[in-house]
Amino acid sequence: MQERNISANNFEQCQKCSICETVCPVMANNPAYAGPKRSGPDGERYRLKNGIFFEDSLKYCLNCKRCEVACPSGVRVADLIQQARIDYGRKLPKLRDTMLASTDQVGPLASAFAPIANFSLGLAPVKGVMHLALGVDRHRTLPKYASETFVRWFKKNAEDKQAQYSKHISYYHGCYANYNYPQLGKDFVAVMNAFGYGVHLIEGERCCGVAKIANGMIEAATRDARTNVDLFRESVKAGREIVTVSTTCTMTLLEEYPTLLKVGNDQVRDHIHLVERFLWKAIASGEVKPVWKEDWKARAAYHCPCHQERLGLGIFTMELMKMIPGMELTELESNCCGIAGTYGFKKENYKVSQAIGKPLFDDIAAAAPEFVVCECETCKWQIEMSTGVPVKNPVSILADALDLDKTAILNKPTK
Amino acid sequence: MKFDVIVIGGGLAGMTAAEALQSAGLKCAVIAEGLSLHNAPRNAFRAAGGTLLAGDRVTGGDFDGDRLVRVHTEKLGDVALEAGAFVLATGKYFSKGIVADMDKVYEPLFGLDVEYDADRSGWFDPSFAAPQRFLEFGVKAEDGRALKDGKPLANVYPAGEVLAGICGAQGDATETIRKSGLDAADAIRRAR
Repeated sequence: MQERNISANNFEQCQKCSICETVCPVMANNPAYAGPKRSGPDGERYRLKNGIFFEDSLKYCLNCKRCEVACPSGVRVADLIQQARIDYGRKLPKLRDTMLASTDQVGPLASAFAPIANFSLGLAPVKGVMHLALGVDRHRTLPKYASETFVRWFKKNAEDKQAQYSKHISYYHGCYANYNYPQLGKDFVAVMNAFGYGVHLIEGERCCGVAKIANGMIEAATRDARTNVDLFRESVKAGREIVTVSTTCTMTLLEEYPTLLKVGNDQVRDHIHLVERFLWKAIASGEVKPVWKEDWKARAAYHCPCHQERLGLGIFTMELMKMIPGMELTELESNCCGIAGTYGFKKENYKVSQAIGKPLFDDIAAAAPEFVVCECETCKWQIEMSTGVPVKNPVSILADALDLDKTAILNKPTK
Repeated sequence: MKFDVIVIGGGLAGMTAAEALQSAGLKCAVIAEGLSLHNAPRNAFRAAGGTLLAGDRVTGGDFDGDRLVRVHTEKLGDVALEAGAFVLATGKYFSKGIVADMDKVYEPLFGLDVEYDADRSGWFDPSFAAPQRFLEFGVKAEDGRALKDGKPLANVYPAGEVLAGICGAQGDATETIRKSGLDAADAIRRAR
C-alpha cells in the first residue's frame, strides 16, 4: 500500500471533493473550461499515462490560484495545470503573447517613445488593427508607459542620498513600477526613507517572469529567474533584505520559481518581504514610528488580489491600513477582478474577463468608496476601467497619509 | 498579531462560533485550511468585520502551563497569532482534525486527548451501511474545554466534528455541529 504522496504538487492528495470547482471564476463563466479539478488532478492521471490527453482548454485557466486556497488537502491545483501547459503545450506563443509577456523587452522601447506609444495605442484605428491583427481586445486601453522610468529617476534624484541612512534594504521594483507607474516607486522610496531605510536598486533585476510563464515562454522565464535569485543572494550577502511591492511578482519569486521553473530559492526565500508585511512588523514592533497627518481622512475599500489571497498576507495590508487614524476601511468580498495579467487583454478572453469581474465591480459600486485599496497593478487597470473608481496601492496611501518630514525626524538614528 | 479569539478551522462549527463571537464585539480570526461550502456563517462573519485567513494552516502553538498563548501558521511565518481563547474546529479524518494510525487515533496539532477504543477490531463494521464506531472518535472535553494529559486546558474549546461523539457522516448532524459552535462561543464569553 502506498501511504505517502510521491508526486509533484500534492497531486495524490486530491479527494475529489470539488470545492475547487465552486471557487473557480473561469468555470462559472466559460463552458469551454473543464474546471480546476478535471484540468488539474483528474487530467493529470491521464497525462501521466500519455501526453496525448493534454487538452488545449487548459489555456483558459487564469492561474488565480483560488482553487489552491480552497483546497482542504493542500493540492497545488493551479500548479498542476501550469505544469501541464509547460510539459505538453504544443503551440508556440503567438506574436501577441510574446509582446504582452515580454514586459522588460517591450518596456524600455515603449518608455523611450512613450508619448508616441501612449498616443497611438489610444487611437481607435490603432486599437482596431491590434484587435484584428494581434488579438489584443479593442475595449482595452493598454497600460500607459512613462517617459522617464523609475530607475532613471532614482539614479538622477535619489540614489546618492541613500548612504546617509543606517538601515538598508534592496527594492525589487518589478516592471510595472519601472515602466508604467514610476510614481509607485517614488512613493516607496519616500516612505522607506522617512522610516530611516536607505533604498538600493537590485542592479540588473529581471522581470519576475509571471507573464512569460502564463504565455508559455518557459526558457526565458527560467533564465530571468536564475538571474534574479543570483542577484538576491548578493543582496543578502551585502546585508540587505529584499522588499517587494507587487503581490504577483512576490508570489512568482516565492512560489513559482521552485515549483514551476525548478529554480531553487531556498537561500533567499526568507529574505524576500512584501512591503506591507515588512512595514506592519516594523511599526508593530516599535522599530519604526509613524507620524500621521492630522487632517488626513479617507473612506476606502480593500480588494485583496488573487495572488495576495494565495500568499495569505492580505491580513498585513488590512492591519497596516487600519493603523492610519483617518482611515475608514471596509473589506470587499474576495473575488477575482478578471484581468489576470495578460489574460484579459486577449480578444478571446475579454467577455469572460468582464463577466468574472462583475461581482467585484457590483460590490465596489455598492460600497461607493473614495478609492479602492489594492496591491496589484493589473487589478488596478481592470477596476479603474470597469468601475471608474480610482485604485491606490497601500504604499502610495502611506506616502500620502504619513507626515513624511516629521516621520523622518522621529526615525533618525540617535548617535 | 493579537486577537480576542482565534478559531482554527473554517467549517460550519468554526464559522458559527466565530460569527457569534465577532458579532458580540470580540476581535476574531479564523484560520481555514481550505474552504467549506457553509457560505452563510462565513459571509456573516466577514460582514461583522472578522478576519479570515483562507488557505493557511496552523503548524503549532506555544503553551504557558495549561494556556495556549499563540499559534504559528505556514504563511504568516515568524508573525505568530496571539489570543485569549482558541476554538479548535478542525473536523475529523478528512480535514485531519484527528488522524488514525494502525494502532491509535490522535489529535495532530496539540496532542489533545482523544477518545477511541483500544481494541482496533471494534473500530469499524465491515458492512458499509452499518454504524461505524470510528466515526464517533474525537477529542475529549470537559465543561467545553479540551483535555490534554487528562486535564482540561484553560482556553482551548473544541467544537464540531473534532469532538468525540459528533459525526456528520452518519445521519444529519448539521444542527448538532452548529450548536457545538454556539456552545463554544458561549463558554468563551462566560469565561471572560
